[in-house]
Amino acid sequence: MDRNVCVIAGGMSKWGVRDGSQRDFFQEAAKACYDDNPQLNPKEIDGLLVASAYTERTSYQTHLAPLVAEYAGIKPKNICARVELLCASGSSAIILAFAMIKSGQADVVMVAGGEKLYTPQKWEVFYSELASVDHDWDGGQGLGLPPPVFAMVAKQHMAQYGTKKEHLGVVSVKNRRNSAKNPKAQFQTEVTMEEVMSGRMIVPPLTLYDCCPITDGAACIVLAVEEKAKQMTDKPLVYIRGTAQASVNNMSANMPNWTTWEALKIAAQQAYSKSKVDPKEVNVAMTHDCFTISEIIEMEDLGFCKKGEGGFFVADGQNDFGGQVPTNTDGGLLGCGHPFGGTGIRQGMEVTRQLRGDAIQQVPNATIGLTHNLSGFIAAHTVLIYGREVA
Amino acid sequence: MSTPGISILDGKYMVTMDLWPQQSKEFNQIHLFYEYLKEGRFTTTKCKDCGSEPFPPRVMCPDCYSVNLEWVDWPTIGTVIDVTEEAVGVPLGFGKPPLVHALVDLDGKKTFFVRIINCKTGELKSGDKVKLAVFDVDPVPQEFGREVVEMPRVFYAFEPVK
Repeated sequence: MDRNVCVIAGGMSKWGVRDGSQRDFFQEAAKACYDDNPQLNPKEIDGLLVASAYTERTSYQTHLAPLVAEYAGIKPKNICARVELLCASGSSAIILAFAMIKSGQADVVMVAGGEKLYTPQKWEVFYSELASVDHDWDGGQGLGLPPPVFAMVAKQHMAQYGTKKEHLGVVSVKNRRNSAKNPKAQFQTEVTMEEVMSGRMIVPPLTLYDCCPITDGAACIVLAVEEKAKQMTDKPLVYIRGTAQASVNNMSANMPNWTTWEALKIAAQQAYSKSKVDPKEVNVAMTHDCFTISEIIEMEDLGFCKKGEGGFFVADGQNDFGGQVPTNTDGGLLGCGHPFGGTGIRQGMEVTRQLRGDAIQQVPNATIGLTHNLSGFIAAHTVLIYGREVA
Repeated sequence: MSTPGISILDGKYMVTMDLWPQQSKEFNQIHLFYEYLKEGRFTTTKCKDCGSEPFPPRVMCPDCYSVNLEWVDWPTIGTVIDVTEEAVGVPLGFGKPPLVHALVDLDGKKTFFVRIINCKTGELKSGDKVKLAVFDVDPVPQEFGREVVEMPRVFYAFEPVK
């Protein structure tokens, strides 16, 4: 008999430039997750996967999962390990938790992700970012988590498809408007198109509001096999329908195409196929808006619009409330911030809320939701599809 | 050398804080890349069985999985496709802003996204030629038994052809 997998709880710490340590934020996220579902008894959680990318570099801590278990007050008996895929660490951990439950290796798994990125001297995080690309080859070119890379992507996309700086601006204005309504988000204020267009230059054509910030924080989600989920929550069940993750290159010199992300197209196709979902059926999406141009290309390569029309699609309001596929309804990376291991989990939480019908800004009657992350030098793409019904 | 806040590390080398790759034969089986780089050559490994020329250099061919490889020279002059200039967020060790990068077509071998040095803001444009530029970086104080030997290192960027 098929084992179906549901999300039964989710919560996050406040994200931003935070006072505190990595372990503090994991406790705050666990508390928020338990508060989200008082029917969940944490003692019944039998597995833990922890997502954190910079735990060794900025917290000098390996073997993180048992530490998080101890602090979250749980005693896993089927899995207790850390997962790392930089910006997609959280989504990777959700995929593996899904697989553990689906295959009968666990029944109730917590996925917790987060980072303490701000160090007592700020230079260190930029320096550590040189470890997140191919350190020996791209790191030596001064390419960390790299505004220059996405500036080049934007320049190429503009040249090939006529995408405009104003199109990038629409993404920042939308996502900051959404984050201003999300009390857990890093940025609590909206920005106007005028502010965005006159923002401080980072790497032309990218200005300040085109780039997501550096962020401290954590998030937790709990997945359960359907039979137990029904006993553990009265809220509508949200199922994981299908997942995929693809990589076709790592070093920049092996990138097949700068403006069409081949690995994203592969991951999306795999996830749609396993989920029995067509791109046009997706009601709400959380995509990886690390830079504004990313969200535009993601609209194209996820199949929400034609190739090259992403800029015009967002400018037409098609990925905002009332459009075809409202995207980053909680503020995305541009508004919420991006503590690497936490991001995929935040996305999973927001999609869950949208499908349960209790999001802060609700997409009416949403039944299919999608999350997406890219990671490293646009070197891997991760797609998960959630639904009110199983595939 | 002083390390503020961690006095016990005074004078110690930390691989986890090193910007540059290990280049000695004890720590890198493709150390010949760096030896050739010192001669101004830009090289990679070619598979003698299937003819594949992957970059970065390998110890195993990623196409046919052979370990029967040889070193080959690649061009050292390329053509700029497009340029970026980083004004904010330049990592420590890469000088004062702007940090210039270019997407460079290396004569059809690969498209490299590389750092451009000896180049002023606004100087470089699409279609320009750039050439390999090799420079010294900090040596590694490597232990051999009880002795510590300073192992010289180099790295590369590209620069405008003037």
